[in-house]
This record gives sequence, C-alpha cells and structure tokens, in this order.
Amino acid sequence: MVLSVFPVSLSYNSMFISILITIGIVAGIGGFLALLLVIAESTLANYGECTITINEKKELKVKGGSSLLNILNNNKIFLSSACGGRGSCGFCKCKVIEGGGPLLPTETPFLDEDEKKNNIRLACQVKVKQDIKIEISTGIFAVHEFTGTVTKIKDLTHDIKELTIEITNPKNIDFKAGQYVQFVAPRYERSRQSVTRAYSISSSPEQKDLIKLIIKKVPDGLCTTYIHEYLKEGDTVSFTGPFGDFIIKDTQNDMIFIAGGSGKAPIISMLEYLNTHNSKRRLVYFFGARTKKDLYLTELFEKLEKELKDFAYVPILSRPEESSEWKGKTGYIMPYLKDFIADPTKTEAYLCGSPGMIDAVTKELHELKISDDNIFYDSFS
Amino acid sequence: MKQTPQEKKIQKNMQPGVITLSGFLGNDNRHYHDIIDEDRRTLEKLSITPEEIADRLQYFTDLAWDSYDGSIIIDDVYQVEYKSYRGRIPCPFPHAGMYPKGTITLKNLNCGKEICWTPLNIHLIREHCFFEGKGSPHRIEPSEVIQILFK
Repeated sequence: MVLSVFPVSLSYNSMFISILITIGIVAGIGGFLALLLVIAESTLANYGECTITINEKKELKVKGGSSLLNILNNNKIFLSSACGGRGSCGFCKCKVIEGGGPLLPTETPFLDEDEKKNNIRLACQVKVKQDIKIEISTGIFAVHEFTGTVTKIKDLTHDIKELTIEITNPKNIDFKAGQYVQFVAPRYERSRQSVTRAYSISSSPEQKDLIKLIIKKVPDGLCTTYIHEYLKEGDTVSFTGPFGDFIIKDTQNDMIFIAGGSGKAPIISMLEYLNTHNSKRRLVYFFGARTKKDLYLTELFEKLEKELKDFAYVPILSRPEESSEWKGKTGYIMPYLKDFIADPTKTEAYLCGSPGMIDAVTKELHELKISDDNIFYDSFS
Repeated sequence: MKQTPQEKKIQKNMQPGVITLSGFLGNDNRHYHDIIDEDRRTLEKLSITPEEIADRLQYFTDLAWDSYDGSIIIDDVYQVEYKSYRGRIPCPFPHAGMYPKGTITLKNLNCGKEICWTPLNIHLIREHCFFEGKGSPHRIEPSEVIQILFK
C-alpha cells in the first residue's frame, strides 16, 4: 500500500503544477490584454480635439471622448435632463445632423418614428468621437446654472410648501411665465447621491431677483422629502433653467386654466404676468381639490379676480367633508368646462397637475371641440 | 457571493436613497436573486405566472386611471383608488424606460383586505418577477395578492 501511494502523490504534484502553470498562462494573457486595453483607451481612443457646430453658427472646440450632454454642460449649455445622463429620462433630445454615429438601442425607446427620421438623438447617449453638427432650440442658450438662498419656506397645505429663493449668482433670471427650473437636491442623510427634479416657477417673470416654487410631497420621493423635511431657510441651493414651452400663446383667445395641487405654480405666474400687462382676455381658473384643506392661496386669486378685467377663480372639491360646510362647486372639473367655452376655436386650455387629471380633462376638452393645438401642458407631467 | 458589475449596479439601485427614499429591498437581507427565486417557487406552487399577476394589476390600474384620481368600484367587489403624481421613475434593473409616479390602492370588499402598488411594481413583476424585498413599502406578497385580486 505504501509503495503504491508514492507514485500517486507524484502524479498529483505534477498535475497541480500543470494547473498552476495553466492558470499562470491564462492570467498572464488576461493581464496582457487588460494592459493593451488600457493603452488603447489612452492612445487609440484618444479622440483629440473635436468641433461641435451648433445651429450652423456657434462652434465649440472640445476634447472628444465624453457624452454630448456632458460636453455641452461643461460648456454651460444645459439641455434638460432629469436622470443626470443615465439614459433613463429621455429629456435631453437634440438633432444630430452629422457625426453622431449610429442610433443606439438605449435611445430607441424614447424616440418616435418621426424623431428617428429627423435624426433626433439623446445627447447623453451620443459620444463625441469626431466633429459633430447639432441643432438645439435657441431657448437653450438662455438656460443658466444658478445658486440662491432660501429666504422663506411656507406651508401652503398639509403637503405643499412654497419656497422663496433669492438668486445670488448670477443675480437675475429671465424666464417666461409657465417655465420650470431643475432643482438640485444635494446628497443628504437619506439619499446616496444628489438628485435633480423639475419644478415650475410660481413667481412673476417681472421679479427677476428671486423665484418661488410650489412643491408637493411625493410619497417615497427623494427630492421632495429633502425639501419638506431637511431644507431650511438660509440654506444655499442650486438649479438650472429656465426650461419649457408651457407658456402663454400670443393671441387674444379665451383662456381656461385647469390645475390641481402644486400644478397651481405656473398658473399663478401666468396670471400675474397677464395682470401686470393689463390683459383683456377672458380668463377662468378651475382648481380641482379633494377637500377644503387642499385649497390654498385663495386670497391671491380673489385679489386677481378684482384686478383682472375678466377673470373667475373656480375651486371645485371632489370630496368635501360635511363638517367643512363647503358652499362652492363639487365633483369633478369636467362638467363645468362647457359653461365657459363660447367658441372652442378661440379657446386655449392650459393644464398643470397629475397625469390622471391631465388625461381626464384632455378627453373632455376634445369632446367640447377644443383641438390639441389649443391644449397645453408641461412636458414633465 | 461574487457578482458581475451589472448585478452590483442593480443591487446598488435597490438600496434606500438611490432611486427611491425607501429602496426596493425593505429589511430583507437576501440578495435580489434569492428574493426572485423564492417568489418564483411560490408562484409555481400556486400555479400562476408573474404575467398573470401583472395583467390583473394592470387591469385595475387602467380602470382606476379613468377615475381622475378618485375612487371607483370595479366588478362590484374591488374599491380602487389611483393617486398619480408628476414625474417618472426608472427601473432598478438597468434598461431604458421611465414609469409614472403614482400609487394604486385596492380593497377587496368581500374579504376586507387591501393592497397597494405602483406602475413600476407591474413592470418589475412582469419583466423581472421581482415583488420587492420583505418590509419594502411596495412589497407584494404573491400568496396574498392572489387572494385579494382573484376572489
């Protein structure tokens, strides 16, 4: 038995050595390939200086290799983005005329057929590897990065707060009533990274040294929890903007505003603007809420009713408590719309609120012969 | 347990404070693979597929959507309420697509039991067979959900 063990043990040893040698060779080849990749990344994948031509006018000389979104951001051109360039929001669309490479599978879910035909791409997915020509809305050049100080946080309802932010750098903001900013919530004890969310500006565009935002707490929301539970008066905050084309159309048509919850924010800004410019347009604002405790800033709208030539504020409660002794309108907004519409072809509807509300109201407006061309709402709803 | 970079990313996305405040794992210390495997075995025992549960959740979601953020009675048995919020949320599994923010609450008037889900839950169940970890605010127990949704 002893004699037979010795050769077996020798055989095990030689097999073990063979395995070790094989592993060594494989590891060596792997290491060599990894080294090659690193060298290739720093030499072959060095795209050098690339030129980004924007709208056939502006040229940026940039170092290639990063995403178009990042490079534009670094050059203070801020496309809208809610996901920080992770390819999950689909906001950072722009037209890439030349040099963008093939459309990627990560982009296709966000693009319809027309957009694909028109070379619309997601800037976060387009890597700048060569000279590239793009088209972006000229409004994007008005977008800046701002810092400001929170001077007031006011409870408007049990779950809605109003922030007043005095702008410190740059000193002023130019925006149109109805536009929004992208507010940055920094990393805090309940979040692992900073997050960016879009909020409509509720203050008047005439007031350029501050903005007001109206923010409803979203259950399990990272940004709204920060704002509702952690942000304090005196804190410094940052945001980019203004964004959005949810703005007043330059006509004399009648205007119906429909908004619930924090959707009231852009409507206030629009009404303040119309008031400042002595608008003679026929205006009505239907504000849908569940109970009396969801109503807010009623005094402001009563004041606007007195100051504007033809404006009515119509709060409607879907579930008024009996104890509240509510004497106003009840139910949903939809049945009340027809009372205001004199000529559907000369009536514009401005909606802001939950997607459920926008969907339901849009259906009703179609029934009332208001065309899609005259129905407007925030793209981020 | 060794993980691929992709799996590490998914596990990270599921932690509190990354995509949502509470995350997707609750107080469940298991790897998301193990949560999925156990729930898949439960479904097999119950002879139901994730797609059938997702279809049923979608059925109630679509009907409740038309209630304009109100409460409706469906099939004389289910009281359903949809609360939608502005904005969208990505899936913790890395792929394109954003899902509406909102909660749907359903009460079975026969048994009195209630469950709550989000549009993202439906996607997670249908595409990933992921019902979330135990203790997560939107964890859906496969055995319970069948009693409530199909009775």
